[in-house]
Amino acid sequence: MNKLTATLASAALLLSAGTTFAQDVLRVSAIPDEAPTELARKFAPLGAYLEKETGLKVQFVPVTDYAGVVTALTSDKLDMAWLGGFTYVQAKERGKVIPLVQREEDTKFTSKFIANTASGVNSLKDLKGKSFAFGSASSTSGHLMPRFFLQKEGIKPETFFKNVAYSGAHDATVAWVASGKVDGGALNSSVWDKLVEGHKVDLTKVKVIGTTPPFYDYNWTVRGNLDPALVKKITAAFLKLDAKNPEQKNILELQRATRFVPTKPDNYRGIESAAREAGLLK
Amino acid sequence: MLSPTRDPAFGQRLGATLLLLALLAPTFALTGFNPFVLLRQDTWHVWLGFVAGFLPPAHDADFLAEVLRETVTTLASATQGLALAAAIGLPAALATSRALDAARLTAEPPSRWAETAKRSLRGLLVALRGVPEIVWALLFVRAVGLGSLPAVLAIGVAYGGMLGKVYAEILESQPAEPARALAASGAGRLARFAWATLPQALPELVSYSVYRWECAIRASAVMGFVGAGGIGQLIDTSLKMLNGGEVSTLLLVFLLLVALTEAISRLCRRALDSRAGIAGIAVATLAAVLGSWVWLRQGWPSDAFDLAALDHFAGEFFPPAHDAALLTSAGRGILETLAMSLLGSVLAFVGGALLAVPAAGRFGVMLKGLSRLLLNLLRGVPDLMWAALAVLAVGLGPAAGVLALTLHTAGVLGRLFAETLENAAPEPERALRAAGAGRFSAFAYGQLPQVLAQWIAYTLYRWENNIRIATVLGIVGAGGIGTQLYLALSLFQQQTAATLIIAMLLLSWAVETLSRVLRRRMES
Repeated sequence: MNKLTATLASAALLLSAGTTFAQDVLRVSAIPDEAPTELARKFAPLGAYLEKETGLKVQFVPVTDYAGVVTALTSDKLDMAWLGGFTYVQAKERGKVIPLVQREEDTKFTSKFIANTASGVNSLKDLKGKSFAFGSASSTSGHLMPRFFLQKEGIKPETFFKNVAYSGAHDATVAWVASGKVDGGALNSSVWDKLVEGHKVDLTKVKVIGTTPPFYDYNWTVRGNLDPALVKKITAAFLKLDAKNPEQKNILELQRATRFVPTKPDNYRGIESAAREAGLLK
Repeated sequence: MLSPTRDPAFGQRLGATLLLLALLAPTFALTGFNPFVLLRQDTWHVWLGFVAGFLPPAHDADFLAEVLRETVTTLASATQGLALAAAIGLPAALATSRALDAARLTAEPPSRWAETAKRSLRGLLVALRGVPEIVWALLFVRAVGLGSLPAVLAIGVAYGGMLGKVYAEILESQPAEPARALAASGAGRLARFAWATLPQALPELVSYSVYRWECAIRASAVMGFVGAGGIGQLIDTSLKMLNGGEVSTLLLVFLLLVALTEAISRLCRRALDSRAGIAGIAVATLAAVLGSWVWLRQGWPSDAFDLAALDHFAGEFFPPAHDAALLTSAGRGILETLAMSLLGSVLAFVGGALLAVPAAGRFGVMLKGLSRLLLNLLRGVPDLMWAALAVLAVGLGPAAGVLALTLHTAGVLGRLFAETLENAAPEPERALRAAGAGRFSAFAYGQLPQVLAQWIAYTLYRWENNIRIATVLGIVGAGGIGTQLYLALSLFQQQTAATLIIAMLLLSWAVETLSRVLRRRMES
C-alpha cells in the first residue's frame, strides 16, 4: 500500500514538474490583431532578447484566433501571451493569470474611427445607415471600446448601421474601408499610426473621423502557475528595456513602445465594466 | 394553326416560372439578395480591383515555401482525420450493423439490452455527423487550441459519424449467406464480420473511404478559416488583407491539390480489382497515415490530449441558454439560413441547367470544353471559400451566402445535369426535329421530360446539403445562423452557442425528413 502511495506521489510530482519546474521552453503567443506575418516579424528580436534574459528557449506559437489564445493560456498550453484589455479580462474570468507589464502607451490607449473618403462621411452621425466594420469581435480597441463609446453617444451599432461586420484584424479593417467594402470602421490608434508612418494606407481613400477617450489596453500576461522566479525574471527583462541601447531600441520600436511599465489587474476594471455594459461579458 | 417551331405549352411554362418567382420573393427579401447589385458599377469597381490584383500570382520564395508547408499540413490533417474517422466508424459499424445481428442470421431472439445499446450508439453517430465539420473545428480550436490538431479531430469526429453509418449500410448490402453459415456453426459477431462480411464488403468499404478522403481534403482546406491551420489559414489571411496575388496562388495550389487527390482516388479504385492492388493500397495507407502523423506531431503541444480540460470545456455548454431574446434571434437566423439555401439552390438549378446544355456537347466541342472547365472550377472551390470571396463582391451578409451557394451548387448540378442529358435517349428529340419542330421545342419536348424529374431530385438533394452549409457560411461573414454562433464562441458565451448548435441540428434534421418525404412521393 505504501509503495502504491509512493508511486502515485512520485507520478504526481513528475506530472507537475512537467508544467512548473522542468521548464526549458517558454511558449509565447499573441492575440492575432494583425496579420500573422507581421506578428512574427514584430516578435523575433523580442524573443531573442527574452531567450538571453531567461536562459530558456523561446517558442512563438502563431494563433489566428483570439479566443484560442485565451483558452491556450488558461489551460496551460501557453506560458505567456500578449493580450488586449478585453482578452485579458476574458482570461481572468476563465482561469488564473497574472498581468505583468504593459507599454507606457497602453495606459492611455485610444481607438480611431475611420471612413472611406468617397462615402461622404465626416462624422460618426454621418455613418447612419452605412456599413461599418469592427476588427475582431474579441478585440478591445477594435471592437469593445469603440462599441462602448458609440453607445455612450447614443449609437447602437446593430440598428444604427446598415451592416455590422468583423474584419478580424486592425489592418484588415483599414484595407476594407480603403477598398469601399465597408463605409466606416474602428481600429487601434497605434496600428493606424504605424500604417500611416509606413505609407501603407492611401490617405486619399481613408480618413479619420473620430478618436475615443483613453483606456487601458494591451499587456503581457503569464499563466498563474508559472514559476514565480521565472515570472520575476521576465518582468525585469521587460522593465529594463531601454531605448538608449541601440539593440533594445529596435525591440521597443517594433513593439511600438517607449518603455514597458508594470501593470496590475485593477487597471482593467474599466474595461470589464465596459464589456458588461456593452453586453459582451455576461 | 400554330407554327411548328413555337412552344405550345409556352403559356403554362411562363405561368409556372412566374409562380415560382412569386414563391421565392420572400427569400429575396430575407436575404437582401439583389442580383442587380452584381451589375452595379461600384461593385465591379471593388471586385475588378481585387481580381486585377490576382495577377501576377504571388511567387516569392518565402511565400511559396510557406504555401508548400501548409499544403502538406492540409493533406496530412485530412489523412490523419480520416484515419481517426475510420477508427471510430469501423468499430461503430461492427457494433451496429444489422448484417451481423444474430437475430437476423439465426432464429435466436434479439437481446433487449443489446438493441438499446445499438440504438444509442446510432443516435450518437447521428449527432456526430449532424454538426458540420467546420463547427466541430471551431469548437476544437476553443477546446484544444493551436495548430492542426483541431482540424484532425473535427474531421475525425464528423466523418466518424458518417463512416459509421455508411459502413454499416455497406455491410448490410452484402449477401447474408456466408455470415449465416458461420452463425449456424456458432461463430461470434467478430468472427462473422472478419471471415464472412468483411471479405465481401472490402472493395466497397475501401472505395467509399477513398471518396471520403477526397472530401476530407476539401474540408481540411477550409478549416483554417476558423484558425485550425493548413492552407485555409493562409487563404483567410490573404483574403482579409485583400492580397489578390496571394489568393490566386493559393487557389491554384488548392485546385492542383484537389486534382491530385482525384487522380490518386481513381488509381485506388482501379487497384481494387486485384489482390496485389489491395495490398498496395494497404501499404500506401499505412505509409500515409504514419507520414502525416510524423509531420503533424511536431506542431502539436505535448499535452494536447488533456481530457480534464476537454471535460470542463464541454461542461460550459450546459445548460443551453433559452432566454426569449436569444430564441428570437436564433429563429431569425434559421429563417435567414433557410432563405439563403432555398434561393441559392433554385438559382443554382437555373445556372446548372444553362451550363449543362453546352457541357453535354450540344453546341460543339469548343463550348463543351469551356463549360466543363467552368463547371469544374465552380465545383472545385468549396462553398466556404466561395463565401469568403462573395463577401468581397456583394458585401457581408446573407446575400454573399446566396451567391456562394449558387456558384458552388451550379457547378455540382451542372455536371450531374450534363450527365443525365448525355444518357437520355436521343430518339424522341430526333423524331420531333424530323417532324419539323424547332430546336428549342424539340429539346423541350424530346429531352427535357426525360431528365427533368431527375434534375429536380438532384436539386432537392443538394438543397438538403445546402441548408447544412448555409448554417456555417456565417463563419466567414456570409449570413445565416453561423454568424451568431461564431460571435457567441468568440465571446465565450458557450451556453448561447449550445442553443444555436441545437437549432442547427433541428434544422438539418427537419429538412432531411421533409426531403425524404418529398422524394418518396416523387418516386411513387
